[in-house]
This record gives sequence, structure tokens and C-alpha cells, in this order.
Amino acid sequence: MNKDPTRADEDLFRRLKILVVEDSLEMQRLLVALLESMGVVHIAVARDGEKGLAAFAARRPDIIITDGAMVPMDGYEMTRRIRAAEAGGNANPDVPILMISGHAGRENVTHARDQGVTDYLTKPLSADTLYEAIVAAVSKPVHFLDKPGYRGLSPKRSLDARRS
Amino acid sequence: MIERRPLSRLAGDEARNEAPPLDVRFIRVPSIAERKLGSDYVAPMRLDPRVLEQMQTTIRELETKYADSLKSQIAMLQVLVEPACRGDKEARERFYMLAHDMRGLAGTFGYAIVGQFADSLCRYVEHSRDGDWRDGTVVNFHVDAIRDAFENPGTDPAITMETLNALDRLIGSDINGNGSQRKSG
Repeated sequence: MNKDPTRADEDLFRRLKILVVEDSLEMQRLLVALLESMGVVHIAVARDGEKGLAAFAARRPDIIITDGAMVPMDGYEMTRRIRAAEAGGNANPDVPILMISGHAGRENVTHARDQGVTDYLTKPLSADTLYEAIVAAVSKPVHFLDKPGYRGLSPKRSLDARRS
Repeated sequence: MIERRPLSRLAGDEARNEAPPLDVRFIRVPSIAERKLGSDYVAPMRLDPRVLEQMQTTIRELETKYADSLKSQIAMLQVLVEPACRGDKEARERFYMLAHDMRGLAGTFGYAIVGQFADSLCRYVEHSRDGDWRDGTVVNFHVDAIRDAFENPGTDPAITMETLNALDRLIGSDINGNGSQRKSG
């Protein structure tokens, strides 16, 4: 067992592959800089949901961080397609998807949960909120439901927005 | 990598009475930390203050660059507001995208009030109809408030909060009064 949590964190973060899906250049710059501060070196960036899907298929990241509102495809639709049963062998029920959104309303959080979002972070983003969410995403095992016609996170799970 | 688990026997009578059908399985996927570092790895649940400090330093380093960018964005809002209110669709879209960016980022870089006014503006625009744009009063008020909050960060917080609350009431009653007829922006 590793006795040095700090070094273990560094090692873990160095090995992580993270995909950032974000249309704002300023927000992209902030997220990449913050992830690099955590020691993450494998970071891919896509500027909308469509390009995010392509990057996900090509790079198989460990974690996806996505904006909510983007065009032509938003983060909700991208998440739905990643989780979708119709994607067959490409459906991925367990990759953590962290959504960062300016919409903090309950209906937005519920909609995100229903598409398969793992964690919901509201803007403005703070360093500790992002750090906490990443640590939670890497530390927690994922439990999902597998039944005829459905393979994914429990649709009844609770999801609350993380606020900075 | 994937573990398939039978239903828990510790859940009590309720679980026994309403057991899921046999073709439903709960699947546990090991955490990313377990997969990357081995199954005996105890995942770090506590935040490392040194990492957090480094992240906060990163935000401070980006602040100057962001301040320049925000200044340009506010200037662009002032340019776009007139054609947007006149009905220029492209100007409205660019105007909203700028406000949306401010809503998301200004607070992170220490311009919390700018972010709050931008949030209020976005909510207004998201529920606005053409008539609201053409009237322009609320939109222009927001643009002035954003510019003022950026240029005069020392403004009395009580006045700012009063203004924001007044806008909330105005926007809230406007949306509630016409919500069924409005489309999302």
C-alpha cells in the first residue's frame, strides 16, 4: 500500500488522460492551466460536443470535463451519445463526465443527470471545486445498472450541483 | 476489470419484497485510481493544500490577461448593443456569447459583480422577445452596470446588491408574466 498520498497523487495525475470540451477560449485556457497545476499532462481539448465525441473515440480519456451550452452540439447531447445504448460496443456507462455550467437551476442539473453526467459544477469555477471534483472522479468506483435495453448510471441517483 | 455483484442481502425486508428481476445486474467498475495504480491503492480523498495553492497561483497569474480580455469584451458589448436592439440577429448572438463568457469567468478572476450582472443579463436575454430587445432599456442598463462594475470595483456593495435585486424582480416578473409566450434564446 502506498504510504505517501502526495506522491501517489502526483503519479496518478501524471497518468490521467483528460478531455476538455469547451467553446470559450478563455475557459479552455483556464481549465488547461488548472489541470496542469494539478500535474495532469495528458490533456486534449475539443471546442464543441461533436468534436468532443470524435476526441473521445480517438483518445479514450479517463475523465471528460465539458461545458453545457455549446453549438452545434452541446454537452448534454454529447453525454447522452457517449452513454447511449444505440452506440453498442462504443457505449461507455462509466467514464466520469463533469459538466461545468453557468445554469445552476434544478431543472438543468436534473437534465444533466438524465443524460448521464457524473458531476455538475456551476460557474464561476473555483480551484477547490474543480480539484474536489477531479479527486472524487478518480477515487470513487462507478456502479451502474445493466439490464435489457439499458446499461448506465442509475437514472434515480441523486445529483447536486457543486457551487464555488 | 468489471465486477458483477449479486443483490445485497443486507438491505432488509423491503429489498426482499421488491427484488429486481434476475436479468438486472449492478456492475461495479473499479475507480480510476485502482485501475491506474493497482487494487491495493488507497485513493487520495483529502485535497493536497500545496496543489490547491498552485492552482490558486495559476488563477492569479491569468488574472491580468483576463482583465485585458474582459475590458475588450465590455467594449464589444457596448458596440453590439445598438445593432442587437435594432434587430441584427448576428449582433444578438455575439452579444449573448460575450455575456455568457462573462457570466462563466468573471467571478473566477475576481470580478464577481461583473459576473452577477452578466448572469442577470443572460437570464433576461434567454427569455426575451423581440419587443424586449427593441425597447432596449433593460439590456442597456445591464451593459452600463457591467461597465461600471469593471471600472469602479470599489462601489458600495449594498448599492450593487440593491441594483441586482431590483433587476431580479424586474426580470422575474417580466419572465413570469410572459413566460408561456417566450422562447429560449
